[in-house]
Formats: sequence, C-alpha cells, structure tokens
Amino acid sequence: MGELFENIRRIKKSGSRAVGCFPLYPPVELVHSLGLVPLVLWDIKEAAPSLGESDRHLQAFACSVARRLAEFILSEDGARLDGILMYNACDTLRNMPEILQSGLSEKGRSLPLLRMHLPMVPADRADANDYLAARVNDLVRGLEEAFGVEFSPERFRESARLYNEARALARRLELLTAEGRVSYREFSRVIRNGHFCAVEDHARELSSAVERAEASPAVPNARRIIVTGILPPPDGLIDAIEGAGMRVAGNDVASQSRSYGHEAALTGDPAAFYCGAYRARRACTTLLYTADRRIDELCARAAERDARGVLFVGEKFCEYEYLELPYMRKILDEKKIAHMEIEIAAGDRDGAASLRTRVEAFAELLDH
Amino acid sequence: MAEVKQAEQKFRKTESGKRLTQLMTEEYTALHRRAGEGAFVVWIAIIVPAEIFSGFKNVVFAVPESHAALSAAKGVGMLQCEKAEAAGYSMDICSYARIDLGTALSGGKDSPTFGLPRPHLLVSNNNNCSLLAKWFDVYHREWGVPHFLIDVPFCYEGQKDRDRAYITAQYRDLIKTVEQLSGQTFDLDRVREALRTTREATRHYKRFIDCAAARPSGITAFDSFVQMAPLLTSRGRPGIDRHFAMLADETEERMRSGLFPVPGERYRLFWDSIAPWHQLRKMSARLAGLDANIVAASYTSCVGSHEGSYELLQSYDGGDPLEALARAQNFSVCPYGLNLRVNAMTRAARHYGIDGFVFASNRSCKVYSIMQMDCLRTVSRDLGIPVVMIDVDHADVRTYSEEGAFTRIEALLERIDAARQRAG
Ligand code: SF4
Ligand code: SF4
Repeated sequence: MGELFENIRRIKKSGSRAVGCFPLYPPVELVHSLGLVPLVLWDIKEAAPSLGESDRHLQAFACSVARRLAEFILSEDGARLDGILMYNACDTLRNMPEILQSGLSEKGRSLPLLRMHLPMVPADRADANDYLAARVNDLVRGLEEAFGVEFSPERFRESARLYNEARALARRLELLTAEGRVSYREFSRVIRNGHFCAVEDHARELSSAVERAEASPAVPNARRIIVTGILPPPDGLIDAIEGAGMRVAGNDVASQSRSYGHEAALTGDPAAFYCGAYRARRACTTLLYTADRRIDELCARAAERDARGVLFVGEKFCEYEYLELPYMRKILDEKKIAHMEIEIAAGDRDGAASLRTRVEAFAELLDH
Repeated sequence: MAEVKQAEQKFRKTESGKRLTQLMTEEYTALHRRAGEGAFVVWIAIIVPAEIFSGFKNVVFAVPESHAALSAAKGVGMLQCEKAEAAGYSMDICSYARIDLGTALSGGKDSPTFGLPRPHLLVSNNNNCSLLAKWFDVYHREWGVPHFLIDVPFCYEGQKDRDRAYITAQYRDLIKTVEQLSGQTFDLDRVREALRTTREATRHYKRFIDCAAARPSGITAFDSFVQMAPLLTSRGRPGIDRHFAMLADETEERMRSGLFPVPGERYRLFWDSIAPWHQLRKMSARLAGLDANIVAASYTSCVGSHEGSYELLQSYDGGDPLEALARAQNFSVCPYGLNLRVNAMTRAARHYGIDGFVFASNRSCKVYSIMQMDCLRTVSRDLGIPVVMIDVDHADVRTYSEEGAFTRIEALLERIDAARQRAG
C-alpha cells in the first residue's frame, strides 16, 4: 500500500499542503503554482483496499472509482489532506462533494472543498469559453482564500511548463513500452505514481525510467494491442496480458494517455490556459464534447502502433463507458481489429484464473 | 383483500384518468401524424424547455424518457430492455435508456405508441443526468443526427445569475440551430404563450398534488406520477392547463364527497425516487391494504421547483421567456444536491404530515440514488421520522422483489407504531 500515503506524509513533512483532486483532469498546474501539491485521487485501489467507510455512504452499484475515493478521503490517511478540489464529471461523482462533507462532519472533520464547473459543450458554443474563463478566475480566488496564498502569473507559467515536460516524458515512455524496452506493468506503475506526488518528483522518476528503457534493447512482438478504459488493467491482469505474449503498444486509458496525451500552450493567464488545455485534451468519454473523437483516435492509434487488437477494460457500473461500447465494437469489427472486453468490479481479484484463460485465447486470436 | 380491490377500482375509475388516456393517445397520434407530414422532429430530455419549440410553426418534440416510463407502466419495459441487452448494452445502464434503445433498435415494435418518429435533432442536458447525453449520443452516431447538449451547472445551492445567463445564451444557440436545420423562423411570442400555458397547468397540478395535505389524503403519489405525463410530453400545448384545472377540481370534489384512495389511512409516507412504473397498481393497492398511503414524492417536482423545496414554479410575469425557462432549468429534483434535497424533504414532512420516508434505491438512476444513504441518515436524525430503504429499479422489474420491499415497508410501519406508542 503505500505510494499515496507515503507521499502525503512526505509532503506534509516538508511543510507543503496536499490537495486531493478529482476526477481525472483537474487544473493541477494552477494548484501547483500556488505552492500546494495537487494529488489526483484516481486508481487508488492500494490506498483504499477495503470499502467499509464508503459502504456507509454509497450503494454497491457505484463504481469502484467512486467507492475507493470516498473510502480514502474518509479514512485516517485521507485526514492528512489539506483540501479537496473537484470539477463536474459523471452522475456518480456529482453528489460526491456533499457526501464527503457529510461523512467528514460525522467524524468531526472538515476540509476546504472547492468546485469548478467545466463546460461540457464545444468551445464554439455561446459563452462556453467565457463561462469557463470566469470559473477558472473564481477558482483562483477560491484557492487563494482557502489556503491564504497568492497567485503569480510567472509561477503559473512555470508550473504549466513543468507539467508539459512531465507529459512529454510520459509520452516518450509509452513509445518505449510499445517497443518492448520496458514492460507495461512498469510503465503503469510509473504513471500511477505521478498522480500521487509533486510534478517535480514525477518528472525525475519519468526521466530515469526513460533513460533505463532507452538503454534496453527493443523487443519485436507481433501480438500488439491497445488498451482502453477509465482505469488501466489491474496488475494481475497486466501480468496475464504480458504472460500471454501480448505487447501493450499504446493505450487509451483515462488515467494514462488521456491524462498526458496533450500539450497545452504556455501562458501566465490561467483562464486562457485552461480554455485551450481542456480543448486540446485527448478524447475521453467523461469529457462529453470530445467523446465523438474517441473511436477515431483509438483506430488511428491502433494503425500507428501496428496493433491488431483492442482490449477494453470496463469499469463495472460506469454507464459512460457502457453506452460507448456497442458503437466502438461495430467500428472495430468494420476495421477488422480484434477486441475483447474485461469488466473489473470493486471486489474482483486481479489475476483470477478465468481471466487468464480469456486473455490467452485473445492473444491467440491475434495470430490469425 | 376487499379493501385492496376497492382501492384498485378507485384508482381506475376517475374521469381525469380517462381524460389523461385520451390526451396521451391524441398526443402520440398527433406526433406521428405531424412527423409523417414533414414536421421537424426533436427528441428531448425531460427537462429541456420544450416551450422553445412552440416558437416554430412546424416543430414537434418527443420525450424518450416519458415514452420509456409509459412502456414500463404498460408492461413492456422488460421486453425492450432485453432487446437492448441483446444488442450489447449492459444491464447496468439506466432502464429508461435500455427501453428506449430496445424500442428504437426494433423500429418501435412492441411499443404502446408504435415508438417515436425518427428525430432530426437530439437535445439533451447534463444536469438531469449526464447519462442522457451519452444515450442520445448513441443515436447521434448510429443515425448521424445532430445532438445539441445544453450544459447546465449542477445545483448545489440557489441558482446564480451568471448560470442563468449562461443557460439562456445556450437556448439562443439552440434556437439558431433549429432555425438552420429546419429552415423555419422563430417567434418568441409563441414561446411566451406556451410558457403561460405550462405555468398555468403547473399551478393546477400543484393544487392537485396538494390534495395530499388533507387527512386522509385525497390522492396517492401514484396518481400524481401518472398525471404528471402531460407536463413532460405536452408542455406548452394549448389545453393542457384545462386538463390540470379539471383534474384538481375533480379531485377536490371527490374529497368533498368523501372519496379517498385510502379511507382508513393510518400511515402517511413519502417516496424518494422515480415512480416504480411496473408496480403502480400493485404497490398502491398493497399499501392501501395496510392502511398506508404514499402521499407525496420528490419525483413529482421534477417539472421544476424552487431550490430546497418542492414548491413548483407556477408563475410567469410575461418577461423574457427564455430567461424564465432558464430559471427552471437547473433545479428540478433529480439535479438537486444533498443539502437542498434534505431541506425540501424537511418542508414536505411538515406540509404533508409525513410519518415515514421510503427511500427507493434505484440502481438504474445513479444521480437520484447516490446520496440517499446520507440523505436517509440526515432525515432520520434531524426530523426523528422513521425511514426505510428498499431496492426498486423504476422501469426494469427483473431486479425488484416485492416480498423483499414489503418486508421492509411493514417493518417501517411497525416502527411508526412503536414511535406513536412511545409518544403516548
Ligand atoms: S468510472 Fe465511470 S462512473 Fe465511475 S467515476 Fe469514472 S466516469 Fe464516473
Ligand atoms: S432515470 Fe436517472 S439515469 Fe435514467 S435518464 Fe432519468 S435521470 Fe437519467
């Protein structure tokens, strides 16, 4: 267990303050520029292995992402956070701020909780950009007030530069993974760490991972696949994928390439920055205005990486993903790209034998 | 058993019930006819302001959620869900969406209204639920139909002026989009008129649901679920205000004549969820047999109410109708936050003299259900009123256990009795 807990402890020890952010694409550059450490609370299975706290607040038909999020924030270790920041996403997460506040108050705790509404319509829609710009400026003021800090355009630009740098390194590492110079398991570990630590530390870790990978030989592999979903496959499933001789040649995972896949134009004005950055993002089922692009981007990635198959890692109870699946299947069939779906639920064991059998059968399918 | 039969008969017999059937039949018939004659067809989410389409001479709108509810109430919900599942849509998707997809994919087969005419435009919003945007995206991709999403900030507190302005601006965009796609011109005065009709209809609907404040209650919440339909499918249509005026008049008259759905009413309950469409008759009859009546529900305010209450928006001062519609856009009950919902329930508990709350946890509707556990605890703690949670999917009967639900409801009634005894 640990990276998340350890990092929060380290952040606190160094005198910094940690802000838990969700869902996946919060304005981390802004939080960082104010001298705070944004932690993206996603893919936190290890930090929230049981669901006792969450079960008091969320029905079992909430996805594991939401349940673990609630579990962590309401846990003793979550108590070390200095604040929470969220923007609007799906129906499951929408009620989360008040549920968390209710849970915290039952425990006699409270945390500053900041919210931002991210328009879910295309940028050319009336007022969409102006509305977002105004919300970003509100958020700047909200963060300044909640944490007694002051915004600086220079520092913001520098934070944005640092995040761009880390994202470029992540993209490089993804390519090295496609070449077989580093395993997808190791790649996923490094990317996941980045959600839970300061960007400077993450850039360092990515740099050394890239260096190590570049020093390793490329290993050709014809069983190349793209993984897509909200969360990456759990470690046990990755072992099954790699054990079956498949190579993850690219990903369309929300906490991976959809998080680091874009480069945002640098400026000291956060409103202008986010109006650009949210539009530049890779297609994601949770960013409604981008979702039309997802299947095209997925197919383009498969072609570019010479992948023969797509593995959907479905999050049980994620209706966003469910509603996109049939159309994606149809297009992949038309393009003769093999595909398989694996659904992961909160209580599932990672490397269950039944999964291995299915994964092996899928790997063999790629040879035909 | 005799009482159950009696309650069931009364449920069936009202004149307003017959008029409603006629109205809905006419509505769907006219929809198909006009679409066949070349009208521009829009599919909307239930809280998209349909009055806007009255601003065009030849635009008709259909409401897939309402059609799904009707399908579930008529007993074909499961069948349509199964068709969607066979086409690869997960059983964990909202049952309204599955019913609609099942209906659309089979060209309207088995639908009580022969399905809905194919749309030229889809209009959804993301505060009712975001799932709806994804559901409409399916048609957008499969049929190549444009999809206009109204982006609405979620309502955790009172509506802010800036949000109202943002929503109004999007309505103007929507009008332009319809003008461009349909080639028709828009007339704001017609929207004004439609809005007046809707608000007048809402005022009478509120008069009708407030018959529940009497003891015994003049209605069950099940009546109000059924009667809500025209407020969703026929907003702005001339004449619906008259229907609701007659509904309220008739109900008040029945009460004066001593006709009550549960004459021996001993337990007055509140329902928090969407209507259990597949159980309307069964559940109300079985409750009546226990002298219990679900008199009010949060769902009936999904036509638009004031933040933190179930007080419906009933007036219109003749000002900018788009702004008045935007005022109603982000505070129907589904999009309420937890604090607002608890406030509304607190007021309802007093207004309707509620003895117990039934929280119907609905795996289909995350936006309505996720928060109920905290809501339930807060209501129980702050109001000291017994509460229960049961599992009911609003439109897919397969996950519902009548015995399981009634074991819990009966336990709730026992707790109400015990609390009364303690209070002497
Ligand atoms: S996995 Fe799906 S349902 Fe869960 S939080 Fe993410 S978008 Fe929402
Ligand atoms: S029932 Fe709930 S999830 Fe389904 S369409 Fe309505 S609000 Fe959305």
